[in-house]
Amino acid sequence: MSYFFQIVVSGVVVGSIYALAALGLVLIYKSSRVANFAHGQIIAAGAFITYFLTITIGIPIFFSFLASMIITFFLAMSVERIFLRRLIGEPIISVIMVTIGLGSIIDGLIYLTPFGTENYSFPAFLPTTPLTLGGVSISWTQLVGVIITFILIGGFSWFFKKSTVGISMRAVSDDQFGAMSVGISVPKVFGLAWATAGLSAAAAGCIIGNITGLNFDTLHAFGIVVFPVLILGGLDSILGAVVAGIIMGLIQQLASGYLDGNWGLSGTGEVMPYIILLIILLFKPHGLFGIHEIERV
Amino acid sequence: MKNKRCLSLTGLILIMFFTFTPSVNAEGKIHKLGMSLAITGPTSDAGNPYSKGVEDYFRFVNETRVLGDDKIECMIRDDQYKTDVTKRNFEEYLDKGIVMYLNYSTGSTLGLKRDFEEEQIAVLPASYHAGNLDDSNYIFLPVASYSEQLVALSEYVVKNHKGGKAKVAMFIHPSAFGRGPVEDAQKAIKAGLNMEIVEVVEHGKNLDNSAMLKRLSNKGVQYVLCHTVQSPVSTMLKDSTRLGMTAKSYGEKGKLTFLGVHYTGGNDLIALAGDASEGFFWTCSFNLTSEPGKGTDKQLALAKRYGRDNKAANSHNYAAGIMVAQVVTEAIKRTKAKGFEVNKKNLYKEMNAMNGNYAYQPYTTIGPVTYSDTDRAGVDMLQIYSVQDGTFKKVGTPIQSEYMKKIE
Repeated sequence: MSYFFQIVVSGVVVGSIYALAALGLVLIYKSSRVANFAHGQIIAAGAFITYFLTITIGIPIFFSFLASMIITFFLAMSVERIFLRRLIGEPIISVIMVTIGLGSIIDGLIYLTPFGTENYSFPAFLPTTPLTLGGVSISWTQLVGVIITFILIGGFSWFFKKSTVGISMRAVSDDQFGAMSVGISVPKVFGLAWATAGLSAAAAGCIIGNITGLNFDTLHAFGIVVFPVLILGGLDSILGAVVAGIIMGLIQQLASGYLDGNWGLSGTGEVMPYIILLIILLFKPHGLFGIHEIERV
Repeated sequence: MKNKRCLSLTGLILIMFFTFTPSVNAEGKIHKLGMSLAITGPTSDAGNPYSKGVEDYFRFVNETRVLGDDKIECMIRDDQYKTDVTKRNFEEYLDKGIVMYLNYSTGSTLGLKRDFEEEQIAVLPASYHAGNLDDSNYIFLPVASYSEQLVALSEYVVKNHKGGKAKVAMFIHPSAFGRGPVEDAQKAIKAGLNMEIVEVVEHGKNLDNSAMLKRLSNKGVQYVLCHTVQSPVSTMLKDSTRLGMTAKSYGEKGKLTFLGVHYTGGNDLIALAGDASEGFFWTCSFNLTSEPGKGTDKQLALAKRYGRDNKAANSHNYAAGIMVAQVVTEAIKRTKAKGFEVNKKNLYKEMNAMNGNYAYQPYTTIGPVTYSDTDRAGVDMLQIYSVQDGTFKKVGTPIQSEYMKKIE
């Protein structure tokens, strides 16, 4: 039985981290209806900034982590200001293409640094002995990752539901021109959406980097790996990202634990989440928590 | 007076010009080489130090006149692990008249195999994929193929396993690079190697390998043989340590002993996995600076001479880059010594003649480089290393696969 519970715990842990990594995509989509293809690069940048501040500058890792979130907050905001603001009102596909180009530019910039080509790992700052209960084990890194994920997700949920700025962001997402007509600054909302996405990406980068080690290819791949989570969750729902992330994590671990290696099956942990995604989308084309918009003409 | 001053000034300028201009003797020739590899992009953690090794050794050859008045001009370009870019680079090098070519990835080596045949040019790739040699006459693997390494590692497992048949799992890269050697390991089992491959796991971008590790353990797996890159191995090792499943000593019953082929190990694995890498076994044909010797002293001196940082200087990929440059230099040197023109044809001949008494011993490898018409793997010897107190240390003396000869 501990085998089953270990798999469930692992699934929840992995799913939570997926949710955090997908959160940045949700935040941008929620306010601007744009899928950001440079998200993986921002995840990686956040992790490397934390490492740089910790190892090169010598700041304690906790403060480096906070500082990297603040830095990526402003970095992402600047990116929006320089590259994307001019595209407000332009077709969405143009903006998406710009995010693809942006991804290449950030790739190139990171490759100019040692982080693009070398492997690093964060110094150990948490107890190395895992927490074990009834034969189920979870590392401190994973536990702290899950806690940070839920704090951030809870915070952002509150922000979008209760704060004036959050409600403005949702209004812009629903109708840019309508929002403008009531005095909401669409450019500022876009900037803020990118900035908060940058912040959450940095947090995700640090947590993933702590688990996998700091390798640029591995880190930036997570920007794409979590796209199914975004789609299953319904693109613009924070709660959707959490639920979809955990579903994906659980399916991955359960398939890996019970299907792989049996009946000649292999790699189902990688494939099953996509199969389930397709099945769910057949019945709920807008994802689990996506809004089905009906347009009257 | 004015004319005299003018004349002496001109004379002085001429003297200075001839003194300080880098002189390429009229007799000296320039031998052009080309290399395309991933200095950035996927796998550049290996490609970057590899390119530095090649660059530094050729600079050293030119500066210390290893080839007398002749010079080597090696053009190095980044292909970001993209086969189309590699092909373009290779074609441009051909236009510039290269006499030998250094390639990198498995994909591009397989993809350009036909071009190498058509151009009849000797090629040294950084990929040790055995499939590179199928239907190929011009590809020379620098060291034993991944297949040979995996089979040798399997033999090591069997030889040191206590009690019954050794149960192993293969943890491989989800690509031709990862899958190829597994087939050879299965052939070795058919040929009598007392081992059972319980499962072949093709990994993805896993954040948690608990399910997989528990599953393998439940099936009685005792050894996990890895053939991939460091990052997924690192995550797996960390998970295994967390779950208390890593063997404290080789082959400990009820636990997992992890072993890996060339690209799974090295200092990068230790950097990524930290303490979880303790006890990891690894095959490699290169001398490591964590086991100092004359060869590694020379490697470190070369890195120091050209201002490389510690990370590059101590990388086995830097040693691998130096090694291929050494082999090319040696082939050119021998061709020249025989009084032949240094061209594609003669270098190819010279590579094939590198055996027996003419085997070449670079300072970077644990055994000699031997090539012939039928042997296209340079260094056949493999050293098993294991992580002890944060560094790779030698385990026993160099080995060579016995079963590989039986199944070829």
